[in-house]
Amino acid sequence: MNICIMGFGAVGKGVAKVISIKKDELKKKYGLDLKITGVSDSSGAAISPDGLDPNLLLEVKEKEGRVSQYPEYGTDNLTGLNFLEKVDYDCLVEVTPTNIDDGEPARSHMLKAFKDGKDVVTSNKGPLALNFRELTEAALSNKVKFKYEASVGGAMPIINFAHDTLAGCNFESIFGILNGTTNYILSRMAKEGSAYEQTLKEAQEMGIAETDPTQDVEGLDAACKIVILANSIMNKDVSLKDVYINGISKINQESILLAKKEGYLIKLVAEASDDTLEVSPRLVKSGTPFSVDGTMNVATLNTDLAEDVTVVGRGAGSIETASAILSDLINIWKS
Amino acid sequence: MRLDLVLELLDVPGQLLDVMEPISAAGANIVTIIHQRDVKTEKGMVSVQVTIEGDKETLDAVLNLLRERNVNIVEIDGVIQKEKIRTIIIGKIIESDIKDTIERLNNLEGVLVADLDLKMAEHPKESAAKIIVEADFGMKRDVMNKIKEIGEVKNFLVINEI
Ligand SMILES: NC(=O)c1ccc[n+]([C@@H]2O[C@H](COP(=O)([O-])OP(=O)(O)OC[C@H]3O[C@@H](n4cnc5c(N)ncnc54)[C@H](OP(=O)(O)O)[C@@H]3O)[C@@H](O)[C@H]2O)c1
Repeated sequence: MNICIMGFGAVGKGVAKVISIKKDELKKKYGLDLKITGVSDSSGAAISPDGLDPNLLLEVKEKEGRVSQYPEYGTDNLTGLNFLEKVDYDCLVEVTPTNIDDGEPARSHMLKAFKDGKDVVTSNKGPLALNFRELTEAALSNKVKFKYEASVGGAMPIINFAHDTLAGCNFESIFGILNGTTNYILSRMAKEGSAYEQTLKEAQEMGIAETDPTQDVEGLDAACKIVILANSIMNKDVSLKDVYINGISKINQESILLAKKEGYLIKLVAEASDDTLEVSPRLVKSGTPFSVDGTMNVATLNTDLAEDVTVVGRGAGSIETASAILSDLINIWKS
Repeated sequence: MRLDLVLELLDVPGQLLDVMEPISAAGANIVTIIHQRDVKTEKGMVSVQVTIEGDKETLDAVLNLLRERNVNIVEIDGVIQKEKIRTIIIGKIIESDIKDTIERLNNLEGVLVADLDLKMAEHPKESAAKIIVEADFGMKRDVMNKIKEIGEVKNFLVINEI
């Protein structure tokens, strides 16, 4: 199976790493030979129909900052749709940055791949949260596979888990802690008694929060994810603008102490249920699955047949997120 | 037939009589009564367990009389009649008329603000309050939505239970 990777940041590099680590195992277990025939970043690309060496890709990106410096096969200024024209692939791995204004350029990348009859695996929330139906319908009408397990909860299994393992169930509601950064900040505030601003700063210094933390702390990232779940698992037709959103930047120590006195914690929770699509700080009982600490993610699916099913896992990280992408690739290969 | 009730009363003299009176007025018999004055609920109320006996009409009449007198019926035959809903709000709580906030909730049928705990934050930060509401079973969504609505009007961040 030939794959091309668009975006060679934390997740793209993670994919190259796991392919390098798992190469022999994938062949033995599944008869799958994953060949990376093209990689692009913001400034250029590397393309080889015979396959690029994942370790060399990582080394070049690390040293030179651009994949176009890949010996012999690197090309400057070849990006986007032009890149997709040139590369010979079966499946696009779309891992460029999330854009929540118009989903671009990822949306166009994916639509082109579908039109050309290629499968797509992505971790990119933007186009999924804005144009879910457009994308799934384009995949369907072109008879190709479209998988996006990594877009919600990183390594925490949820989308394929709901579709495959819980096949036959209807999903009545989904509650989840879907953003690791805010969960880290709120956990620290509860443990250390520290103020919001100070805790955010610490998280930034540790690389857990981004320099511009808006999408995380204002709940937009979690909102994208609950939209994806509502569309994909609950069969709704919603987009980011339909979510009622409150972030965590107003949470103070006073509120955390009041919650504690009652045996509760404050967490940023995303909810999709009958009449509600919402991301907001909520009270959760200490000692329940929703009291998870640190950057962990958790979600409870309420089903008609299996009652509540709860999953917990790592919501981000290079290798962790790549694991979800790899499992999508293997599933496409197996089918 | 028999009926087990759990009631909540204010801890002041005469309260118990106010409960017994409608029971006998309706013609029901009191089988047992357990009155624990030293165990108080959050609101500082005391809980009374009564078992009464009579035909169905008599027992219905007792319930109606108790409700008319605003006696807080917590359980009927082991079925809890009220549920507790906790919320925390953050914002300019006092400045935006805290009494009105409570009244708006109390105006919902079968809903009573049972406890309010306010923590003032230093200026210019916003203070936080915990509100515990007791509501008839099944009212949880309505109460949560009402608090959200108040929050939108008064610019509070509302932290509801899940
Ligand atoms: N990091 C996680 O743990 C995680 C978890 C779940 C989902 N995601 C999602 O996965 C995606 C990738 O995340 P990331 O953390 O890997 O981001 P990142 O580290 O910022 O990397 C983004 C990569 O995309 C490249 N890029 C930007 N514009 C491009 C374009 N037009 N064409 C091709 N490549 C382009 C960048 O190029 P340069 O290298 O030249 O700047 C960079 O290599 C995002 O959508 C994110 O929301 C991430």
